[in-house]
Amino acid sequence: MIAFYDTNLVLIQATLSGLVLALAIQVPLRMGVFSFAGAGSYGIGAYLSAILVLRQGMPGPVAIAVAVLVAAVIGLLLGLLIFKLNGLYLAMATVAFDLIISVIAINGGDLTGASTGLYGVLTDFTTGQMFALTVLVVGLVALSERGRMRRRVDAVRDDPELAASLGINVRRYRLVAFVVSGALGGLAGGMNVMVRTAIGPLDIGFGLIVLALTMIVVGGSRSWKGAVIGAVIFTWLPDVLAVIGEWQELVYGVIVAVAAVFLPRGLYGVIVDLTKWLGRIRRKRRTGGAEQPVDAPESVEPERVELDNTLSREQGGEVARMAAQSEVS
Amino acid sequence: MAASIGDRSVVSTTPVLEAREVSVHFGGVRAVEGVTLRLEPGLIHGIIGPNGSGKSTLIGAITRLTPLTRGQLLFDGEPYQGIRPSAMAGLGVARTFQTVRLLPDLNVRDNIQLGADAEASAKTRPRPGWYQRLRPSVSPAVADAIRRTGLEGWEDYYPSELSYGTQRRVEIARAISMNPRLLLLDEPTAGMNQSERAEISRLLRDLRDEGLCQLLVEHDVQMMLDTCDYVFAMNFGELIAEGTPADVVQNPLVQEAYLGRKGRQHA
Repeated sequence: MIAFYDTNLVLIQATLSGLVLALAIQVPLRMGVFSFAGAGSYGIGAYLSAILVLRQGMPGPVAIAVAVLVAAVIGLLLGLLIFKLNGLYLAMATVAFDLIISVIAINGGDLTGASTGLYGVLTDFTTGQMFALTVLVVGLVALSERGRMRRRVDAVRDDPELAASLGINVRRYRLVAFVVSGALGGLAGGMNVMVRTAIGPLDIGFGLIVLALTMIVVGGSRSWKGAVIGAVIFTWLPDVLAVIGEWQELVYGVIVAVAAVFLPRGLYGVIVDLTKWLGRIRRKRRTGGAEQPVDAPESVEPERVELDNTLSREQGGEVARMAAQSEVS
Repeated sequence: MAASIGDRSVVSTTPVLEAREVSVHFGGVRAVEGVTLRLEPGLIHGIIGPNGSGKSTLIGAITRLTPLTRGQLLFDGEPYQGIRPSAMAGLGVARTFQTVRLLPDLNVRDNIQLGADAEASAKTRPRPGWYQRLRPSVSPAVADAIRRTGLEGWEDYYPSELSYGTQRRVEIARAISMNPRLLLLDEPTAGMNQSERAEISRLLRDLRDEGLCQLLVEHDVQMMLDTCDYVFAMNFGELIAEGTPADVVQNPLVQEAYLGRKGRQHA
């Protein structure tokens, strides 16, 4: 076990930071906010914590805490600026934000180390602390997927108008998504730079957005469990596929394509569907083979989908009939 | 001032909700024009009207989802047209929509619990939020709504497993679980069979007898006659008649709106 840990330490660290980064994208997606700003926040967290350690001599955990706070505030400001956007337009705006952070890193001169980045970020931040922080974050995200919070987040994502009618302030939830995404991205970047001791512009480029999104698409965007599945697969897969040499890119691509086409809700979605299917079987057994509760009244499918289009003749006739009856009585 | 509506005496006090000269225009389209109505406590009100007469737009305006062009909205005598749509639940307004809107990833119990969550938010919660998240439980309001809408046994089902009529009942249960002061129902019995319609009609009348004010948009005229105490008729965005259901269906303007002039002569 210890030998495995020592041999794969870098992969274990990459899995932990990858998981938190995936959550930075997954949490807003779960709220229906199509934002990739978490990747930019990763850059902010990584560079800011590295600068604080190198220039200010701050201890690693304190530098990470400051970086998380700053990334969260920037996430809030970004959210206030673009929260009215939706779908593709919102996604493009957040990708632009990520690219702006990359450009700032490249052109930041001595502060950001320009194209070579920053290195020699040596602190006493350990993999154990990284693991503990990751578990804490995953635990908090998991709590948000339970009970009242889960129901409300589902409503905000699936039907904002319904959510509003149920007293849910949709705007506030969307802003919270930006703040949480910023904090998680900042944490992932901060932790990663502390254990890797270096950060460069290539580490926070467009590839980071693709990696995080791939983790979520394949793992599943509706739960932290999907982020865990995605982070584990896409951190370890390149290593596993190393034996097939140059073909590994092809296999990697096929896996992503197959997941995107055949598993629209990711691998975790398959688990959820299986659980529902088993639940249906259990219910069938309980009700003696009936699909519905035994005493349930039968109901009919609607005669129409658009409810505003059948009234005139039949119902008009009914009005006339009622009027005639009233006159007779 | 006392008035008699059917066999129910109503003492005119402050209405639960009042719309004064409400207009909603979409560009050049006058979807609702100068509508004034009062929703009295303890009565079931209905809105009838042909397609495109502005019924659902009026409900949208009342619930603040559709912005007013003109007019005033009052709840308990206080103007409220400046508030956010999400604040309507805090006033005690619950609604269902013209098309079924259930959350596909939540089972029946959780879909209904969303309504009870809204009520819990509007009041002081007996437990802190973190406790509720750690110990999610079915509130009594949900259990009551499930019982009243005849959904016992359906709690663990997901919306995709339910017939259209049962989905409608889940929506009504969700609205009831908000423990509202005003219930707005947009075609609540669409897709239901006769026995289900009768069940829902009985449920709405029971709720009325408990003092709940309701506004019903419904195409089923028999359902309107059986259920409503007071009916508003709309056509081309305007209120063309109001009164008891029997009076409204006899109104020449209402008959003309449904049948046209020729049809009315035949009837």
